Amino acid sequence: MAKKLKTAKRTAKVSSRAAMSVAKNAGNTAKQRVAAIASAPLAVIENDKDLQAMLAVLVNADEPIEVRLAALQALQAASFSVVSFESARGDYVAALRKAATDPNKELRQRVLGILMRDKDGFAQKKLLDGLKDPGKALVPPEKALQLLSYDVHADAYEAAREIVKKPPNVVAKREALRLLAADTKAAPLFEKVLRDKKELRANRQIAASALHSIDPDKFQQYARKIVLDKSDFDDIRATSLVALQQFGDDEALGKDKALLKSVKGFSGGKTQAKYKQTAKQFLSRYKP
Amino acid sequence: MIVQLLINNNTTPATQFVSWAPAPCRIRMTNSAGAIPPAVSIRLSSASAPGGGAVGFRTGTTGPFTSTLILMVPTNGASVPFFTAGTVASSNFGDVRIEARAGATVVGSAPCMVRIRKNANTLKPPEKTRFIAAYAQLNNQGLGRFADFREMHRTGLALNQAHGAPGFLPWHRAYLLDLERELQAIDASVALPYWRFDQAAPNIFQLNFMGVSDNLGTVSFANNNPLQFWKTDGQTGVNRRPFFNTALAPPGLRTEAQTLALGTMYSQFRIMEGNPHGSAHSSFGGFISSTNTAPRDPLFFLLHCNVDRLWAKWQRLNSRFNSTVVNSFNNNMASPIGHRLADTMWPWNGVTGGTRPPNAPGGPLAPSPIVPAPGPSPRVQDMLDYHGVISAASNEGFDYDDVPL
Repeated sequence: MAKKLKTAKRTAKVSSRAAMSVAKNAGNTAKQRVAAIASAPLAVIENDKDLQAMLAVLVNADEPIEVRLAALQALQAASFSVVSFESARGDYVAALRKAATDPNKELRQRVLGILMRDKDGFAQKKLLDGLKDPGKALVPPEKALQLLSYDVHADAYEAAREIVKKPPNVVAKREALRLLAADTKAAPLFEKVLRDKKELRANRQIAASALHSIDPDKFQQYARKIVLDKSDFDDIRATSLVALQQFGDDEALGKDKALLKSVKGFSGGKTQAKYKQTAKQFLSRYKP
Repeated sequence: MIVQLLINNNTTPATQFVSWAPAPCRIRMTNSAGAIPPAVSIRLSSASAPGGGAVGFRTGTTGPFTSTLILMVPTNGASVPFFTAGTVASSNFGDVRIEARAGATVVGSAPCMVRIRKNANTLKPPEKTRFIAAYAQLNNQGLGRFADFREMHRTGLALNQAHGAPGFLPWHRAYLLDLERELQAIDASVALPYWRFDQAAPNIFQLNFMGVSDNLGTVSFANNNPLQFWKTDGQTGVNRRPFFNTALAPPGLRTEAQTLALGTMYSQFRIMEGNPHGSAHSSFGGFISSTNTAPRDPLFFLLHCNVDRLWAKWQRLNSRFNSTVVNSFNNNMASPIGHRLADTMWPWNGVTGGTRPPNAPGGPLAPSPIVPAPGPSPRVQDMLDYHGVISAASNEGFDYDDVPL
């Protein structure tokens, strides 16, 4: 143990200055530079020169992409030291906005995500523009919808509704449904998706969660119906059962003989083993 | 003859929990039929279910714990004090019992639990199930108490209370403890597990636990996982995009040994706020990777539990529990408010305005039915001696599976 600690101490003591020196030197291999950046993320905010150098790497399309992504990751790690990072934040946001239109898709996605988590208006506009006009899209529609959900407003809802109607792919529809889960006017849509046994089960699961969020009482009624419906899928019945158990009215559930009988049936027979367990837990809680 | 055992000097269900720290207990005779006055020799021992916890005993405030203890218990009903402490962690409530025997006859018994924070990757299925059920209930579709925990960690003045200065570790210790106590108010058998991010932890990133991310970073949960109803900031679900193979550990993070070797002074150790802490956060895209949204991911508290565990390990390694010892904390008077030993911490102190945030979500720190520490409005210095090494009264009632007393 003592030897292990001694070795570790030596490794840990590699100075952040040395790490930055390796990271900035384009003569080193990309692998060496990535390792140096990762070893000391706070080094990027220890002095302004190093910070500016890392920001320059981030926005420079001629740098190897793995080094640019490592610089982004280190800057993002350093941003958790909020007090020290505060003076750098303006330059960081400016660099992120610049990188948002970078030719590299992975970098674009990552920086747009960071910007949107801080509700950045520039990024929001770019994403909405891309949904309305695919020629301007910086990321695929499903990614744009996911990122827009960080700060939803009417324009995003409208775009999401259009995608639910005419989805370019199944993932885009799923993300549109997830975004609409925050829209109180979307209850009828989620009722429809939840009832539709031909709908993708992943979407029905989202609809269950969304409806429960928008109109919990209505969802509890649906959940009961679904659990009673032996012809519905095991997984959707399990989702409904979990919702009843977690968020339902304990007293009413304990008195609901039809429900308890149905759950008893669900706990045996051809039900998948993992859901049998869920049903048994329910019964152990509510058995008379 | 019947004796009553009072764990934590109590018999209410929420108090029948111990950690590695000594818990004050009492034994008294409630029915002396057949007993010969003035006192009867009673032998205490720990009875464990297979794979269950175990406890030890001692009579005073110092000395080793033993697997059995003989006490003379008065027949007149007067109680006799003793101490118990966990020696093996439990998985379920009641998987260990304290048994009292007069000769070979069991004359009293009390089920309890050695409640310890464990590695999330190796939690047993019932532990996982109870934890995620309590967590989902605390979130309660975005309407539960969890919303306060989310509000405590927002960009701006709120984050300045918690990050970038020496109070980073004490503040987050209080934050975790507050959350854990709220979880325990829902299910007393739950302890916060930790994500040991310097090791492979494939069992955490599963549908039945913290969920599985797709290429887009949308997290799926099993249909029987109540976290499928997770909601924060009005948005259902979790976004988390790992930049590493979740069957392995994220690359580039300081290992536990490297972190513990950062130095014996707090000012040296504290740079772990960058790597591994910040690096663990930025191993992902999605909620957890940005300061403003990080607590929206349920994984956040498992990540921070490991950060706190590393601090606990470092404290033990270097004997850094005493806040009056210079190297236990970097008590720099130039540090921002909330980051000096004697400062109270926001939001639990309820102080708002000025350099403190404009509101204080959540109110005082949740009380424990077992221990009084750290109190409703903890100071930075109150978070150092978390399991009562310097003063038994400082025990905050939590421990880690691999950080003994």
